[in-house]
Amino acid sequence: MKNLTIILLSLVGLFFVSSSNAQHASDPSLIAEGAKLYSQNCGRCHNARPASDYTKREWSVVMPHMREKAHMTGTESLAVEAFLNSTLTADVRNDVDSSGKVIQRTPQELIAQFGCQGCHVINGEGGNLGPTLDGVIESRGKEFVVKKLRDPKFNNASSAMPQFPMTDADIEAMISILK
Amino acid sequence: MKKIPIAAAVAAALTMTVAPNLQAEEGSSLDIGRFVIAGYGDVSYVETDNPDANSNVESRFVPIFLFQLSEKIHIESELEFSLGANGETEVEMEYADIHYFLNDNTTITAGKFLLPFGQFGPNIHPSWINKLPSGPGLYGHGGNGSLAPLVPVMSDTGINIRNSFNIGSSKLFTDFYVVSGPREEEEEVGGGGEGEEGGHGAIPEVGFEAGKGDNNSDKAFGGRVAYAFLPSIEVGYSFYNGSYSNDATLDYSASAIDFNWIGTYSTIRGEIIETSTDFLDEDDGEIDVFDRGGWYLQGSWQMRQLGKDALNPFELVLRYSEINDALEGERWTFGVNYWLEASTALKVAYEDTTLEDGDTDNRVFVQLAFGF
Repeated sequence: MKNLTIILLSLVGLFFVSSSNAQHASDPSLIAEGAKLYSQNCGRCHNARPASDYTKREWSVVMPHMREKAHMTGTESLAVEAFLNSTLTADVRNDVDSSGKVIQRTPQELIAQFGCQGCHVINGEGGNLGPTLDGVIESRGKEFVVKKLRDPKFNNASSAMPQFPMTDADIEAMISILK
Repeated sequence: MKKIPIAAAVAAALTMTVAPNLQAEEGSSLDIGRFVIAGYGDVSYVETDNPDANSNVESRFVPIFLFQLSEKIHIESELEFSLGANGETEVEMEYADIHYFLNDNTTITAGKFLLPFGQFGPNIHPSWINKLPSGPGLYGHGGNGSLAPLVPVMSDTGINIRNSFNIGSSKLFTDFYVVSGPREEEEEVGGGGEGEEGGHGAIPEVGFEAGKGDNNSDKAFGGRVAYAFLPSIEVGYSFYNGSYSNDATLDYSASAIDFNWIGTYSTIRGEIIETSTDFLDEDDGEIDVFDRGGWYLQGSWQMRQLGKDALNPFELVLRYSEINDALEGERWTFGVNYWLEASTALKVAYEDTTLEDGDTDNRVFVQLAFGF
């Protein structure tokens, strides 16, 4: 009878769940949330895997497996997949205006676009999968940060940091707000 | 009465399948695939001074087949290929199950699945995830050396209902499952199996390997409830109970508390496990209980915290394991890992195991483990 009670109580809880609202996978807020969830969940059991370990299609099959393993909700799993996809595609590059001129995004827009604070602390806020970026220019130098943004594995082959599709101007913008 | 839990679980699951407010990932605009082979493997060299064991090289290949039938249905199976003593290929089905994503929070799993008991068994044991080349000695499935595991069961056949709830900035995870359960072992279990005689009287052997059938009408029931403050802290309580004798009068039960702290450069994990096995005392015909318990604590530290590029790939790991009450033993394991990729590590470890009779088993491991 005790077993039956436990099962029924757990099932009753299902009726209190709320349904999820689907977001488009390129929604910046979904990507930022995905980066945060990636940081929070992937390192719980193992080294976080870089997005480049699988293709976008492969991630779509791997993520349901990890949703179950990591106890993620469907919405969370979708957000992580959107984040991983965003690092594997070129369509998150800067927009162009009607004359074809690149509209340079602000550092704040870049941080949101690439989900940097999912894994790193910037201005006192962010995740802890990667080291804090507050003071990183002072401690490691500008050259180090530029190299890291261009090739995250240059000094650590097991780094989970994605190789973001950043332009030189994007990198300069990022450097401008890091200290 | 024993049949009611699984019947209730199945009935409730079917009822909720048609509930009106259910949706999972419908509306996804992501590029959808159908089939992936993931998995892991390892090559290990083990040097031991134990006269009952040989130094040797071992190799395993463990593919995981993942199929996405739809946004709600996912199928997975893990097979382990390894070499037998005479060079033959051994194949073991670790799990083969189907997930039905009932709604955003709930997953129903049916088939043979890894039991959500503690953390090491269901999540940490794959060699590219396990930070040491051996196991802590509390779980079955190899890697225990001369320690007699407390929980030989890793996977079984049945149904599991998994939930995840967000509570503010924390999360609540629940798993409740019904599986075929343990059985009375016909032959004596070697290698210090659960219930082995050890000066504690004649104790029936308990077998845990999932088979096609069940030796009694009773099912085992278990679960894990965990609370997490992600990304740093997760604490879980697990339980398992089932009858193993043919007449369903003798029970095996286990419970565990696991705790996990995950930092940017460091991790600390531990589990405390208690088990009880009923046995028939041949002297007075009464049912007595054989209790065993144990725990392990493991810490790891990535040297990249030092900010020296040459040390970035290195990780240090230390683990202590202890089994009490019967077939006692303790184990220290120290390891150094060199990470070639996020999922590939060269691991070197030294392990010192001391058993209750004073015997020791010292081993050196060199293992190349990879996940793919």
